[in-house]
Amino acid sequence: MGVTCVSQMPVAEGKSVQQTVELLTRKLEMLGAEKQGTFCVDCETYHTAASTLGSQGQTGKLMYVMHNSEYPLSCFALFENGPCLIADTNFDVLMVKLKGFFQSAKASKIETRGTRYQYCDFLVKVGTVTMGPSARGISVEVEYGPCVVASDCWSLLLEFLQSFLGSHTPGAPAVFGNRHDVVYGPADTMVQYMELFNKIRKQQQVPVAGIR
Amino acid sequence: MSGVRAVRISIESACEKQVQEVGLDGTETYLQPLSMSQNLARLAQRIDFSQGSGSEEEEAAGAEGDAQDWAGAGSSADQDDEEGLVKFQPSLWPWDSVRNNLRSALTEMCVLYDVLSIVRDKKFMTLDPVSQDALPPKQNPQTLQLISKKKSLAGAAQILLKGAERLTKSVTENQENKLQRDFNSELLRLRQHWKLRKVGDKILGDLSYRSAGSLFPHHGTFEVIKNTDIDLDKKIPEDYCPLDVQIPSDLEGSAYIKVSIQKQAPDIGDLGTVNLFKRPLPKSKPGSPHWQTKLEAAQNVLLCKEIFAQLSREAVQIKSQIPHIVVKNQIISQPFPSLQLSISLCHSSNDKKSQKSATEKQSPEDHLYVLEHNLHLLIREFHKQTLSSITMPHPASAPFGHKRIRLSGPQAFDKNEINSLQSSEGLLEKIIKQAKHIFLRSRTAATIDSLASRIEDPQIQAHWSNINDVYESSVKVLITSQGYEQICKSIQLQLNIGVEQIRVVHRDGRVITLSHQEQELQDFLLSQMSQHQVHAVQQLAKVMGWQVLSFSNHVGLGPIESIGNASAITVASPSGDYAISVRNGPESGSKIMVQFPRNQCKDLAKSDVLQDNKWNHLRGPFKEVQWNKMEGRNFVYKMELLMSALSPCLL
Repeated sequence: MGVTCVSQMPVAEGKSVQQTVELLTRKLEMLGAEKQGTFCVDCETYHTAASTLGSQGQTGKLMYVMHNSEYPLSCFALFENGPCLIADTNFDVLMVKLKGFFQSAKASKIETRGTRYQYCDFLVKVGTVTMGPSARGISVEVEYGPCVVASDCWSLLLEFLQSFLGSHTPGAPAVFGNRHDVVYGPADTMVQYMELFNKIRKQQQVPVAGIR
Repeated sequence: MSGVRAVRISIESACEKQVQEVGLDGTETYLQPLSMSQNLARLAQRIDFSQGSGSEEEEAAGAEGDAQDWAGAGSSADQDDEEGLVKFQPSLWPWDSVRNNLRSALTEMCVLYDVLSIVRDKKFMTLDPVSQDALPPKQNPQTLQLISKKKSLAGAAQILLKGAERLTKSVTENQENKLQRDFNSELLRLRQHWKLRKVGDKILGDLSYRSAGSLFPHHGTFEVIKNTDIDLDKKIPEDYCPLDVQIPSDLEGSAYIKVSIQKQAPDIGDLGTVNLFKRPLPKSKPGSPHWQTKLEAAQNVLLCKEIFAQLSREAVQIKSQIPHIVVKNQIISQPFPSLQLSISLCHSSNDKKSQKSATEKQSPEDHLYVLEHNLHLLIREFHKQTLSSITMPHPASAPFGHKRIRLSGPQAFDKNEINSLQSSEGLLEKIIKQAKHIFLRSRTAATIDSLASRIEDPQIQAHWSNINDVYESSVKVLITSQGYEQICKSIQLQLNIGVEQIRVVHRDGRVITLSHQEQELQDFLLSQMSQHQVHAVQQLAKVMGWQVLSFSNHVGLGPIESIGNASAITVASPSGDYAISVRNGPESGSKIMVQFPRNQCKDLAKSDVLQDNKWNHLRGPFKEVQWNKMEGRNFVYKMELLMSALSPCLL
C-alpha cells in the first residue's frame, strides 16, 4: 500500500487507443518493468430515486459504486466531493435491496482494464477505459509502494511518470491536498479513478478526434 | 373278672394261664394271660366317659372313681348305680349341661366385670401384683434361666439365619442386576466422551476427527460390546469392565510419527524399513476406564495415519529441486545438502512378532519430539481451517476466520496483504522449514560451543533466548576477555537464526547474512574474535592513558589472511616515548612491536645526520615482543603488563 497517482493519457495523434496502449506498455517493458497479470477497475452510477427527493426540485446526488481488482475483497461507494465508504463485496447485494433509494443509471457502467507492471517499488497499471462496447481513453496508474505520505514522494512519482509519459505527465492529483503528513489510503485512489471516469464521460459528448 | 369268679374250679391256683379249651385227647389249650396294658384296656372299656364332662371337680371325682375302679371292682358297683341316676336325669333335656355351663360362665363373667369396674374406680379395691416369692421355687432357677436363655437365643439365631439367607439371595440378585446397570452407566460415561450411534442392535462409535474438520477417508468406527458374560461365582478380575470396545484391526496398537534428521545419505537398502522400537503404552490415568485408554490409543493411531497420508500426498505433489522420496512408511527429504529429514510412521500392533523385532533392534534415539509435536499441531490447524469455512457458524456478511481476514474487505486490503493472510503452505513444507530451522539452530549452537571450548582467549558467551518462533530464534554472542569484561564490550552480536540463513546484527547496526554453512559462521566468529583483541587494546589504552595513533579493522598490508582481514592498532605511551603496535589476524595470530626512544637504543649506530641531542627524543626502530614468553593469563592482561612496564613511574 503506497501512494498512487491516476492520470489520463491522451491518445496519440493518428493512433488508436489500442496502439497507444501498446506503445506505452512497450516503453515500460523496455524500462525493465515486469508484467504481473491484469487489473480491472469498474464503476457503476446510482442516482437517488425520485420518490426520496424533496419537492423543492433539488437534484439528486450521484453515487458511484466501484470495484478495484487490487482490493479484491472490497467495494467502494463514493459521492462526488463526498464521503467514501469502503465495504465488503457484499455491498453490491445490499444495493439491490436499496432499489427504492438508489437506482442504477442505465448504461452507466464504465471500467478500465489492462496490464499490471511491477518496476522495483513502482506498480504501473495501464488500462483502456471502456464504456459499453467502445474504448474511450487510456488510464495510467502509478503506485509507489514504500511510502504512505503523498507529499513525501510526489516528486519521486513525478520523475518516474516523466520517464515514460514524457510531455503528458499530469499535475499533482487533487486528493493529495495541501496538508502534510496525511496518510494516503485506498479510498484516495478510488476518488482519483472516479474523477478520471467523470472526465472521460464528459468527453463523450465531444468525441475526440483520433479515436477510431 | 366276674366271669372268672363264676368258674372257680381250678385246683391249681398257681396256674396263671386260663385254659381255653381241653382237647379230646385231654390236652389243655391255655389262654395267654393278659398283659398289664391289655388289662388296662379292658378296664378302660368299662368306664362310662359321659360322666367326665362338666367341671373339674366332677372330672376329679371321675378320676377318683376310676382310681377306685382300679383298686377294686366290687366296691364300685353301687357307686355306679348312683351315678347312673344323676346321669340319666339331665338326659331328659339334652342342652341342659350346655345351659348350665353357659350360666355359670355368665355368672363368672358378671362377677369379673363387677370386680373390674370397682377396681377401675380405685376406691374400694386395688390390684396388687402377687409377690413372686410366695411361689415355692420348685425347680432350680439356674436351670430355668439357662433354658429360657437357650430358647431366646435359638429364636434370635433363627431370625438372624433367616435374614442372612434373604440377604445372600438379594446380593446374588443384585450382582446380576449390577452388571446390567454398570453397563448402562459405563455407556453413559462413554457417551460423554465419544460420539455414539445405534445401528440395528449394535452400538457404533466414531473415532475419527471428521467432526473436527478432518477429511481423512478412514471411517474410524468402533463397536461397543457388552461384556456381561462372566462367571459370577469366580472371582471378578480387578480391571473387569462390563463395557468393552472393539476397534478396527488397523487401528490397534500404538503409533507415532518419527521425525529425524540424519547427516549421512541413507543406504538404498535401508529405505522404508524404519525400526519400530516400541514405546511403552501410556499408562492409563487412575480412574479413567479401560476403554478410554484403548480408544485414545486408537484415535492417536488414526491421527498419525492421517498426518502421514497428508504428508505423503504433499510429498508427491510438491515439486522441489530434490524430489521427496516416499517409500513404504517413510518420507525422505533433503532440506540441506548431505542432510536428510526422514518422517516415518511407526505403527506397532500388539502382537508378539513386532514386539520381538522391536526389542532386537533398538535404534539410536534421534527422534525429534518437537517436530512430532508440531506435526500434530499443524494437522489440527489444518482441520480447523477446513472446518471453519463450511460448518462453523459464521456471520452472513463476512467470511469466518481470522479477524484480519474479516476486516480485509472494509479496510481495503490489497492483493499482497490478502496473500500474506492466506498461507497456502502444506504440512510438509512447514515441517521441512521447521526441521531446517531446528537443524540450523542446533548446528549454530554446536559451532559456537566448539569455538568456545577450543579458544580460551578471547572468550565467547552465547545467550540463547528462551522463547522463539518455530521458524526463528535468536542468540546473543558476546566476545570478552577474562577479567576485562567491563572495559572490553565492543563485540556484541545478535544472531537471528532463520530457516535458510543466519542474520547477524552487529552492535553498530551492520547486518551480515550468513548461509546455512557452518564454516561461514565459524570464520565470521573467528574474524570477530581477532578484531576483539585489537578493540580490547584500544579500550585498554583509553584506561591506561595511552594515545591511539592509528587504528584499522581491516589492514591492507602484510600477509593475506585466509579468513577475513587482520586488524591493527598503534598506541603511544602517555609520555610519548614508547609506542606499541599490534597486528592481529584471525589466522596469523598477533604480532606486537614496541618502538623505543632513540636514546635507549644502544645498538643504533650514531648517525651522521642527526648530530644534535634533541634528535634523541625521536622514536627509534620497532622491536618485536616475544609474546608467548610474556607473563599473563591472556592477551589483554599481557598487554596491560606491557603498557605499565613502558609507562614511566608517576610517583
